[in-house]
Amino acid sequence: MDIQYQGESLLPGQLGQFFIILSFGSALLSCISYLFATKYKEDRSWHQLARIGFFINVAAVIGIGSCLFYIIYNHLFEYHYAWSHSSRTLPVYYIISSFWEGQEGSFWLWMFWQAILAVVVVARSRQWEDPVMTTIMLCQAVLASMLIGIEVLGERVGSSPFILLRQALEAPIFSRPDYLTMIADGNGLNPLLQNYWMVIHPPTLFLGFASMIVPFAYGIAGLWQRKYKEWLHAALPWSLFAVMVLGAGIIMGSFWAYEALNFGGFWAWDPVENASIIPWFTLIAAVHVILAYKNSGHAYFTATFLVLISFVLVIYASFLTRSGVLGETSVHAFTDLGMYWQLVAFNLLFLGIMAYFLISRWKELPITKKDEDTYSREFWLFIGALILVVACVQIIATTSIPVFNALFGTKVAPPVDAVAHYNKWQTAFAIVVLLLTAIGQFLKYKRTTPKVFYVKLLVSLIVSVLLTAILVYVTKVYVNVLFIVLSFAAVFSLVANARVLGDAFKGRWKLAGSSVAHIGFALLIIGALVAAATNKVVSLNAGGSIPIAGFEEREKPGENLFLYINQPMKMDGYTITYVGDSVAAPNVYYKVNYERKNEKGDVVEQFQLTPNAQQNPKMGLIGTPSTRHYLTRDIYTIVTSAPKLDDPTAHAHDEQGHQANEGYDEPTIQLVQVGDTLRYKNGFVIVKGVDRNATLQNMPLANGDLLFALQLEVHAVTGEVYSAHPKYLIKNGNPFDFAHDIADQGLRFRFTKIVPDKGMELMIYQKPLPEKKWIVMKAIEFPYINFFWCGTIIMTIGFLLSIFRRNKELKRKMA
Amino acid sequence: MKKGAILGIIIIAVAIAMIVSIYTDSSTYASFKDAQQTASEIHVVGELNKTKTLYYNPTKDANYFAFYMVDHDGTECKVVFNGAKPQDFERSEQIVLTGKMVGNEFHASKILMKCPSKYNKDQVEVTESKA
Repeated sequence: MDIQYQGESLLPGQLGQFFIILSFGSALLSCISYLFATKYKEDRSWHQLARIGFFINVAAVIGIGSCLFYIIYNHLFEYHYAWSHSSRTLPVYYIISSFWEGQEGSFWLWMFWQAILAVVVVARSRQWEDPVMTTIMLCQAVLASMLIGIEVLGERVGSSPFILLRQALEAPIFSRPDYLTMIADGNGLNPLLQNYWMVIHPPTLFLGFASMIVPFAYGIAGLWQRKYKEWLHAALPWSLFAVMVLGAGIIMGSFWAYEALNFGGFWAWDPVENASIIPWFTLIAAVHVILAYKNSGHAYFTATFLVLISFVLVIYASFLTRSGVLGETSVHAFTDLGMYWQLVAFNLLFLGIMAYFLISRWKELPITKKDEDTYSREFWLFIGALILVVACVQIIATTSIPVFNALFGTKVAPPVDAVAHYNKWQTAFAIVVLLLTAIGQFLKYKRTTPKVFYVKLLVSLIVSVLLTAILVYVTKVYVNVLFIVLSFAAVFSLVANARVLGDAFKGRWKLAGSSVAHIGFALLIIGALVAAATNKVVSLNAGGSIPIAGFEEREKPGENLFLYINQPMKMDGYTITYVGDSVAAPNVYYKVNYERKNEKGDVVEQFQLTPNAQQNPKMGLIGTPSTRHYLTRDIYTIVTSAPKLDDPTAHAHDEQGHQANEGYDEPTIQLVQVGDTLRYKNGFVIVKGVDRNATLQNMPLANGDLLFALQLEVHAVTGEVYSAHPKYLIKNGNPFDFAHDIADQGLRFRFTKIVPDKGMELMIYQKPLPEKKWIVMKAIEFPYINFFWCGTIIMTIGFLLSIFRRNKELKRKMA
Repeated sequence: MKKGAILGIIIIAVAIAMIVSIYTDSSTYASFKDAQQTASEIHVVGELNKTKTLYYNPTKDANYFAFYMVDHDGTECKVVFNGAKPQDFERSEQIVLTGKMVGNEFHASKILMKCPSKYNKDQVEVTESKA
């Protein structure tokens, strides 16, 4: 039986699905045609067919994106993707981030960038186009297959973003033709992703990933066409571009983590972070070995291998993050969409291509048997690259523990303190790499005179030792010998590269790129080291709280600080006060004032931070930090707990005459006389007198009825005075009472009995005092973190300069 | 001897050291019973006992959070965490604790929760809109 569903807009989905099939088909057609165009060079029709296929593919990829965007933008919740990743309240710029919150959207992003890059390749690569595009279009076809979402022989191939909600889920409402009217809103975007960095970080990262296919494709083309040397020249600018963009993308992710996440830092060695840094390391190593090869003819195989393996590692990274294999070791990974084996196949396909060409061409590769000179730059470039690879192997090995578990059925857990484990190894590698970036600058390609080398080295060495001493003293990293050594290595690299940069100002601009990038890297390491080694939690809860039974033997003081509103607390030289909050739905901004005084009591520093928290119905309280940035340090503040926002419907409405005294505490019952003074939580009550001539509004009094009203005067501590008249009635011999409420004070008075000679019975009901507002917050000081960000920018500029230089070289060669 | 060969030997030595280090640093997923027998920090995987109340009262102590967790063997244990209650803890489906036993309580230094339900699990929320 078919149900005629109402209100569904099926066209964009069908169109989108058509574009997916079209992009898959056209990519495959283009790949095969390029393959034949490479084989039969004289027949240009293959080349033309390949180009037609390629342009159709570009159009189809753009078509997929447009359809998906249309669906999300117009809140077409009949589509699963729109329903699960966006909502009506989402601002437009976050609709962009919801676009790539899901796996399908991020695959599309990858496809899109790959298509754009391919356009550049087609426009510029001339005789390389056919073989290079064969590989790129193969990858494009594989990516398109990730979106197809059909079943082949019982195995699901791909996951389509255009699947309908009722196809994706099973729920009783889908038996109703008008089910759409019952779906008011989508699931919304994860609040952690509602950050401006999330608009820009994924596209940059994926551009980096996507651009890694180009050097890979050149490498394969070079081996395939037996142009063993030429391809390296063409691949170098592309490799530099990929390294630059991926590096920037990774650091943006780190900025996002620092600005928006609550783990209190910029790098956590999470498997997802590691997965993206692994190919970055190998490609950086590749760039250095290509340079060594270009200038000396040594290390050909290493250069080729590193370029090729980098892209295979990109695919491995997407396997790690998308297959669900990481399981409980990562909080950031995507959940499994049932594409585990498809991702494995993607990996094996490109690994297989790489292995095939390396093995089949092995005997023809221009590998030198001669030994390099120890006093040559290429030798140390090569060593540096090897160190990077070894560092990479360590990251891969630890990150892949869940993969080994899946492979061998073991149950090994990752290190308990993962950050310490990684830092232990990577600090050592960073020291060696930094020293090499310094030493390399004193060496020439091929052969350097040892005497000249040592003289130059000595001067820089002395300068660096002095600067290190100052740096270590100022930043207080002298607690650990390794930190001092790392600082020295970074400073040495800085000094040596600054020297080269100094030469650049005298006209040797050619070398500026590498030294600028090295300076940036050294600064980045200094910033990371100082911020990570000396950051301290300033909200230490050492005093002020009463230890709870059974927990007195706490090893460290708590890191979270409890603050009542308008109640200042001293914290590490600061007086901090939580002064209030403002609501900008769905976020609550908590205003926290920081104030620091000098000995005289003058305020020397004053600022307000507004960490916010989203009280998300699906995720609870999601805190977003607020950070005060200074040149030399940051004060990072995050709310870790806060009272639940008042739900207006939860209040019971008490009205006069209500039987139930709900919402009030247990009453106090007292016998009072005129002139008595009684206390209550917020003030006192004076019994002024008894009115015997009281009247009731709606009830006429019959003869013999007795009505008394108690005259009370209520004084609140805040100065307000109220009067109250609870009444007591005896009608037909039966007692009744009429309560009087003072809503402002949360008070209710009942006059319930008259005991002759003793007094009048007065019941006082009080509402519990409104809870004082409070927050629990955590504050961390990150000193000198600006070195980290600054280094990143400088490094990126360095890469950019190198790209220009190598590109110019390439043009000269081709001309 | 060629320099390349020396290099190769050094790299192999470093690689072996690394693998040994990873092996010794890595821990195992254990149960509360295993935790009782060791003094070192280990991982315990389990589920929150949602029938028992969570204790977190920031007005008393912002750094004390206690709850009951059932591990994969079915053993229940009180867990104490020296910190604020993690966001959305009640909804967690699986918890990975890092820590050690102190008496009869498990003192966690790190809590990792798996809450795929928050955005990925597909539950249609239906709101009846009445005319």
